[in-house]
Amino acid sequence: MSKIPLPLQVNGDTHDVLIEPHWTLLHVLRGPLGLTGTKENCLEAECGVCTVLLDGKAVNSCVLLAVLCRGRDIRTIEGLGRPDQLHPLQQAFIEFGAAQCGYCTPGMLLAAKSYLDEHPNQVPEPDAVREAIAGTLCRCTGYQKIVDAIRVAAARMQESV
Amino acid sequence: MALSNRFAVVGHRLPRLDSPAKVTGLQTYGTDVVLPGMLYGKLFRSPVPHASIRRVDVRAALAISGVRAVITAADIPRAWYGPAVKDMTALAAGRVRYINEPIAAVAATSLEIAEQAVAAIEAEFDPLPAVFDPEAALAPGAPLIHPDWAEYTALPVLSRGGNVASHSRIHHGDVEAAFSACFRVYEHHFTTPSVHAGYTEPRAATARWEGDGSLTVWSNGQLPYEVQATLADILQLPVSRIRVLVPGIGGGFGGKLRISLEHHAALLARAAGRPVKIISTCEEEFTAAHPRQASIVTLRTGVARDGTLLAKQARVIMDCGAYAGSGPGTAAVALQIVAGPYRTPNLQLEGLAVYTNKVPSGSFRATAGPMGNFAVESQMDIIADDLGIDPLELRLRNVVRDGDTGPSGEPLSAVSVEECLRKAAQAIGWHERRPAPGRGKGIACGWWMTTGGSSGVYVKLNADGTATLGSGAVELGTGALTGACQVLAETLGLPLDAIRVSAVDTEAVPYDYGAQGSRTAFSVGNAARAAAATLRDRIAAFVADRFGVAPEQVTIADGYAIAGTDRMRIGEVARLVQLAGGGLIGHGTFIAPPPPHDSSRISNHPLPAWNTPSFHAHAAEVSVDSETGEVSVERYVVAQDVGFAINPAGIEGQIEGGVAQGLGQALSEELVFHEGRVLNANLTDYKMPTAMDVPRIDSILVERASEAGPFGAKGVGEPPCIEPLATVANAVAAASGVRITRAPITAEKVLRHISGQTSRCDSA
Amino acid sequence: MAFQVHHPESVERAIGLAGELAPDASFLAGGTDLIIQINRKRRAPRHLIALGGIGGLAGIEWRDGECVLGALTTHKTIERCADFQGQLAALAEAARVVGGHQVRNIATIGGNIVNASPAADLLPPLLALDAAVELAGPQGTRRVPIAQFLRGPGSTDRADNEILLRIAFPGLSDSGATAFLKAGRRRAMEISVVSVAAVLDLDANRRCRTARIALGAVGPVAMRAPAAERVLQGREPAEAAFAEAGRLAAEACAPISDVRASAEYRRMLIQALVPRALRHCLQRIEARS
Repeated sequence: MSKIPLPLQVNGDTHDVLIEPHWTLLHVLRGPLGLTGTKENCLEAECGVCTVLLDGKAVNSCVLLAVLCRGRDIRTIEGLGRPDQLHPLQQAFIEFGAAQCGYCTPGMLLAAKSYLDEHPNQVPEPDAVREAIAGTLCRCTGYQKIVDAIRVAAARMQESV
Repeated sequence: MALSNRFAVVGHRLPRLDSPAKVTGLQTYGTDVVLPGMLYGKLFRSPVPHASIRRVDVRAALAISGVRAVITAADIPRAWYGPAVKDMTALAAGRVRYINEPIAAVAATSLEIAEQAVAAIEAEFDPLPAVFDPEAALAPGAPLIHPDWAEYTALPVLSRGGNVASHSRIHHGDVEAAFSACFRVYEHHFTTPSVHAGYTEPRAATARWEGDGSLTVWSNGQLPYEVQATLADILQLPVSRIRVLVPGIGGGFGGKLRISLEHHAALLARAAGRPVKIISTCEEEFTAAHPRQASIVTLRTGVARDGTLLAKQARVIMDCGAYAGSGPGTAAVALQIVAGPYRTPNLQLEGLAVYTNKVPSGSFRATAGPMGNFAVESQMDIIADDLGIDPLELRLRNVVRDGDTGPSGEPLSAVSVEECLRKAAQAIGWHERRPAPGRGKGIACGWWMTTGGSSGVYVKLNADGTATLGSGAVELGTGALTGACQVLAETLGLPLDAIRVSAVDTEAVPYDYGAQGSRTAFSVGNAARAAAATLRDRIAAFVADRFGVAPEQVTIADGYAIAGTDRMRIGEVARLVQLAGGGLIGHGTFIAPPPPHDSSRISNHPLPAWNTPSFHAHAAEVSVDSETGEVSVERYVVAQDVGFAINPAGIEGQIEGGVAQGLGQALSEELVFHEGRVLNANLTDYKMPTAMDVPRIDSILVERASEAGPFGAKGVGEPPCIEPLATVANAVAAASGVRITRAPITAEKVLRHISGQTSRCDSA
Repeated sequence: MAFQVHHPESVERAIGLAGELAPDASFLAGGTDLIIQINRKRRAPRHLIALGGIGGLAGIEWRDGECVLGALTTHKTIERCADFQGQLAALAEAARVVGGHQVRNIATIGGNIVNASPAADLLPPLLALDAAVELAGPQGTRRVPIAQFLRGPGSTDRADNEILLRIAFPGLSDSGATAFLKAGRRRAMEISVVSVAAVLDLDANRRCRTARIALGAVGPVAMRAPAAERVLQGREPAEAAFAEAGRLAAEACAPISDVRASAEYRRMLIQALVPRALRHCLQRIEARS
């Protein structure tokens, strides 16, 4: 199969990549672009570790063909915040111990960001947070510290507006 | 006891050392490893559960462009391996024993080409009679899964024969005589299914052969030193020629204890002359990894009129699948679990690890814990109901206390099960056990070991005043290494953020028995404490010499070595010793002393007495929908004796996560087999709890200090997974009157009991 | 897997491509299901015709008393649509329980319909709302009631070169209400073990004027339960009638036993959830009046 050129906007940068048409966004991120912060596991949109933001909305990059992302704004964990410039969600995850093995953490953070952006200026109830992140499986934490961290981050994001 | 705050670093809720890397996506995991020129490996697997391999033809696969190597058993050393019984080969040799057993391996320039090559391999089989049920495998005349079992090398302690990979016993008193004198004798059967550890990072391995003929492997396994030793068996190389690196692990929970794909990657890389990476697919995880054993427990318990336990007889069958794996240890440890934290004067317990033609099993958090505890703690409630005694009261009448002996005759100390039970009961509001129609509360208690095994660490003091911990124990997500670093920081008088953890590399870090068995913070922490003590001595000696005082007059605190009015920063000490004496490195080791016990009670048991046991009680309130059978866990409380809470936040995280896994096993998770084939080998139908399925969990940390643990700590990580199944079963019974003895407690089973279709359910 | 992806910018061009590339082509909407099917080697199209570049296929609007949903409308849009928070709540309730947010942000109603999974969550509400699909093909457009459109598991009345353009259903009278319920082993990320959608409307005498019940995952396709509907007609909306409807629905359905549940349990759930869905409708009607 011959490769086709595809410009991709990832974390504000334009990448001109050569892809095969059947490659998923996950494959392109982790392979050609070397952005391994987006994790891989089930490849069937069941576990959520591959979650990225597409035009600000959380999506499973494992079932999204890269060719459908032309002209779209893609944001990965590498674009959320750096160690010296953490996003409030990242800061809260550290404080609460919401990351254990950390493998679901990038997807969990982006699922949370998508939800908070969709519901701005409020601190969601715990059940709403649980619904928001239900598409990302965590096997380590039992979710409690994740829920707590997301709510505290939401409160801080509100204060800082 | 209040959580202690007498210390500067231990006992505090400090953020984990690895969290900044994890929240920014910068942590590297096994699946992320990429090497120049790397090939992709893929396994050709058996389509049948039990057969002789008549022919494997790989010519068509080799002819595909981009294929660099195809190997079968004929191409590799005929070497046997296994943690307890050496009954496995890297690729099936002559016979396959389960569906998806590896037969051949392919390396190619892309994963897709490797997949095509696997599809092009042809194989023919002569089917053999298969056996899928462990009780059928025990029957006389059952097909032998390992006809050559007697020729295998195994741990000398094991008693084996035919389809029995091990048979362990604990025996004390005279059970039959006691039963005949009992007020009542109860006998029940309990079963649990095979479940998967469910780590979110699939198993992955990358292997590269170096110019000197040595091998480097990037693994995401829990036990780099066991991987090294197993690779040495398989490749028939000295261990020093094998270097295992563990960059990071996306969860393990015991499921990544045993070698996974490292050997296949190494064999392919050798054949291809290029590095090879293999990642297991989701389907391979569910059909060919190391799930928890399915179990059958038969439990016979005799009591006095007042509920005093007088005798217990148990037969535990662990379904190992096609290879023994962790089964022998699991079947043996089940005996301590079915004895429970109860005084029982007469015991006759036996545990069997049995071969069947299914996926070989491994370990999963608290190996035999949930299975044995489900039986014991369900039966305690059944007995309590029958005798008209409150289930909490029945337990309190029988639990062990300080000065008692355990099932192996081992003296018990720092026993806290009564305190745990009372605290859990109080927190759940036990006085109101059935608060409303369809609602009920359950309680269960248990005990578990802090696994032994030795630890060695290096601690290097850096010239900037920080210290680096080198350990062969990996951080698989539990936070145990942050706990060990807290112990180290406390002992060195440094803040936690002055501690770094070095990369795990068997060529550079000392031996450790590994991140398993609730032992990591305990054992590595103790070794770190020992290393810190030698460092303190060396610092004191150096500073004493510099300031002209005796070493005993030097104190170390807050990053300084202090001698009277003189003081020197630790970093400056390290810098000066680098210039003058090769730097400051402390070596510390630890091994838990073997617990004394009565060996006459024990037969063929690899773990006859438990090191530093912990005690715990769980309580839950559930509601049961009488129309759908759906069970909702409304509240959940854990009271766990952690000895000393090195990091209370980290321990809560272990409890919350362990309970979530336990609730999955209680309510929704099971590998469903038909004729040896897994029917739900994907995350659509293997049902791990989502955030909406787990309730808020309240953790009560009980601190009854141990003698052996750092600052009194006990093992923490596995216990939270033990009691949820029994706790939920008991709560469901209280809420609905339905007693489920075959896990998981699905809505379908509950509704069938409610509507009186129990017989079909129990045979389902 | 290896395929080419085509990006037509008009319905006509997409239909033309589908004709040229038949039978090796498949339309691609969100792809959340199709990509998994291809990965599992259940389908192996050599050409995917992406519909995302065609304008006017996404969105929800009212036209001549009908609610019209473009085929590319995402589950998330349906879940959050203000029109589906009141008497048409069944649609939002069904959309909300499909996968995680990450799937719902991509997966489309059109994809959910043409995949024709027996367990597809949007199908029971659409069936209960008497929806029809509008298809465009080389001979123009046609409209098919959804009950006739669904033929079997994964099978519909759509020709290979026909595109599902939109789905429409008539609005309910002001007094009507809907509800959707789903049973699964977990509370999220579930393929339905069963699902039930109900539409209920009362007349001036507070008798059932309209009662429509649809069931998911209990037959080869999502299905209506006509006997259960008939027994409610003209009856007082009370427990006795609801229970009878549940019993008739359970009798009428044809579930299978699989790894998720047995056929018997699915029947028991239908018997329990049909009355519960009707009760929800009634509560909603009463809450408004």
